[in-house]
Amino acid sequence: MITGEQILKTVSGLLHQGLAAAGVSFLAPVVDRVAAAVAMFLGISVFVMFLVWMERKVSAHMQSRIGPNRVGIFGLLQTVADAIKLTIKEDIKPVKRDKVPYYIAPIIAFVATFMGMVVIPFDRGVSVQDLNIGILYVIAITGFTVIAILSAGWSSNNKFALLGGFRSAAQIVSYEVPLVLSVIPIIMVTGTLNLSAIVEYQAAHGYWFTNPLYAIPVLVSFLIFITSATAEANRAPFDIPEAESELIGGFHTEYSGVKFAMFFLGEYIAVIVSASVAVTVFLGGWLPPLPMLGFIPGFVWFMVKLVVVIYFVMAFRWTFPRLRVDQLMAFGWKVLIPIAILNLLLMGVVELFLAKGA
Amino acid sequence: MGAILRYFKDIGLGLWNLFVGLSVTTKYFLTMKVNTQQYPEERLPLPARSRSMIKLIYDGEKDQFNCVACMMCAKACPNSCIKLEGVRMPDGKRRMTTFKLDFSTCIFCGYCVEACGFDALTFVSEEYENSVYKRGSLLQDEHAMKWARPAHLAPKPEEAAPVAAGASAGA
Repeated sequence: MITGEQILKTVSGLLHQGLAAAGVSFLAPVVDRVAAAVAMFLGISVFVMFLVWMERKVSAHMQSRIGPNRVGIFGLLQTVADAIKLTIKEDIKPVKRDKVPYYIAPIIAFVATFMGMVVIPFDRGVSVQDLNIGILYVIAITGFTVIAILSAGWSSNNKFALLGGFRSAAQIVSYEVPLVLSVIPIIMVTGTLNLSAIVEYQAAHGYWFTNPLYAIPVLVSFLIFITSATAEANRAPFDIPEAESELIGGFHTEYSGVKFAMFFLGEYIAVIVSASVAVTVFLGGWLPPLPMLGFIPGFVWFMVKLVVVIYFVMAFRWTFPRLRVDQLMAFGWKVLIPIAILNLLLMGVVELFLAKGA
Repeated sequence: MGAILRYFKDIGLGLWNLFVGLSVTTKYFLTMKVNTQQYPEERLPLPARSRSMIKLIYDGEKDQFNCVACMMCAKACPNSCIKLEGVRMPDGKRRMTTFKLDFSTCIFCGYCVEACGFDALTFVSEEYENSVYKRGSLLQDEHAMKWARPAHLAPKPEEAAPVAAGASAGA
């Protein structure tokens, strides 16, 4: 049986041997991080390209269409063609832009979400940095996107972009709260913020949904988490910052070419990060769905679960109509947060009186 | 108490509605039903009487056009885009010699086809890709518009009768 940890050990062992042969083994920690970053970047870019293709195919088949089918087999290379087109496009800039934030915004949007991938455990022992405050780190670092969106909206010197930025600030600040509140019940039970430790807890105690005590609160938490994560990633039905029928493109109205591609990449990476956290925390990460399927490596199960969760996020986008701004705020503050707090209370009661007493 | 119950009822109802919507889209996604027609490769069969192009009917048995150059089509044309000439044959019947229809001004109103009393002009259904690179190519003569009616489109006896009556009345 091959595991992700063995592959990782082999690759890093080869790297370290090479460094030792060159007599620069003191560089090993740096080279490890750089290699991990490059591998992550390439892997994520390819995965995002696949996801864009998948989103177009999913939306097409939901609307009785075919979707991309001209470039490559089943249109798989369509996104590659789109990426080439985006990179060679002319970069059109507003004359009266605020130069520094205008250039920094797409970089923040990309980097802030990309940094979230650092703590995701793809398999047992396979993550760039297994932080002991993993969940806190992910939620904190992906919250940076609001700075990118707000500065993009402000520096474009465009009323639609500015409105998009304001809406985004209101939305992300509101939905950060239920996002955190929905993860707390899990942390209460597992007693750790470490993502791989949460998966190990599920490995030891079974899946959340197989335990009748935890099934209901964890399901509510999962639904709240997916909803808030969709809102955090600015995806429909919560895409009011870029609502194209109202605000043209919202905060990225004045961006084109590579800068737009970075916003686009950032949005998809945000989806990947939130879905990865959802898979890790609620669906058992790299664990096989049935013990007898353990011969398949863990990272395969992780990717399968990830794609299933992302499919549902895509299905939301192509099914539900966009919320109005006031509806969005009402939904966040009047529904998600009270339910999340009640759920927290329920989980506390379950944990204190039923699980521990039994 | 009632307000609290209504609050939870609304949330449950909302969730149920979202579930119904998702089930519809998921059903469509899983059945993979495709309504798109891949146009250049696939073509839908057009109804036999759809109006794509105007053609001059050529009678293969008699080796001549049905047109007798009565000028009714040219007079009926609102844009005057039909120009034609004819001669009187030795047997006393008139025959069309040149026929020009300028499709760059034609609006496909069909008045010429309606006005024709000799079953000489008709709409065809299959030739609907009529874009050209030069405007001059739209000026078509009788050779370009020559069209032999296939057997399955031959007028039925009851349909052909009024044409014959009209022909005899016009003669």
